[in-house]
Amino acid sequence: MSSDLTNAIDNVSDERDVRVATGPYQAEFPYERDEEAQVTRREFCNFLFLTSSALFVGAAGFSAKSVYDARKENSFAAAEIPGAGEMQAGSALNFKYPNEADSAILVRAKDGSYAAFGQKCTHLSCPVHYSKQNDRLECPCHEGGFDAKTGAVLYGPPPRPLDKVEIEVLGDRIFATGREVRGNES
Amino acid sequence: MKADPKSINVRGNRQLSRGRSAVWQARLVLLVMINLAQLWILSAAVDAALAKEFQHLTPLVIASAVCWLIALTIFLWWKPAGRGRGSA
Repeated sequence: MSSDLTNAIDNVSDERDVRVATGPYQAEFPYERDEEAQVTRREFCNFLFLTSSALFVGAAGFSAKSVYDARKENSFAAAEIPGAGEMQAGSALNFKYPNEADSAILVRAKDGSYAAFGQKCTHLSCPVHYSKQNDRLECPCHEGGFDAKTGAVLYGPPPRPLDKVEIEVLGDRIFATGREVRGNES
Repeated sequence: MKADPKSINVRGNRQLSRGRSAVWQARLVLLVMINLAQLWILSAAVDAALAKEFQHLTPLVIASAVCWLIALTIFLWWKPAGRGRGSA
């Protein structure tokens, strides 16, 4: 910015007063309006090209990681689901399986049968919850619904069923024995 | 009556400047449009991966690569011609 223009701006605006008022904070939060205004077309062009590169790397990296994760073979160890023996019919219990980061939900239907699913909604990974009133699993984020016995999509935006957690019932004790990611069979 | 050489020169420079400015605007607009397309492709890839529909990922990555290559050509070669090269 030329010095004439700077002087003209100083004469018609309160820029000088602002700088005086913000003086003590300039060291912590350096802010120069002159520098801010000087984004050249060349710099903007460089920024756009860098953004394009980042978006390409992001798409390729995300795709590669998701395919790698899907092909990775998992071995599951059986683990008892704590507190499952005391569940009433028409209730649900949250647990972690196979790792602490993998939340799951065990549902005891009104007829007394058990079923367990991954708790992440297959739309955008919000946690689903059991609705006793409707006897189904519901996602509160975008109003998706899943069957409480099969995990199949009943309505809403989820594109595939919930992950299925294999369980074994041994008397009063219930064990999780495996976890299966299911695609969209339709 | 002869035209003033200085006025011809000023008019020529102004036209040259307008031409260069137009090329720059076109470059920026194209790059912005490519970025928007790539943003859409990235969101589609995330959607496909979450739905475990992996067959859609390869075409999406290829489409993003094509967009990036076009952006690269714009960035490297589609520039306004210089004054010394005799064209605007």
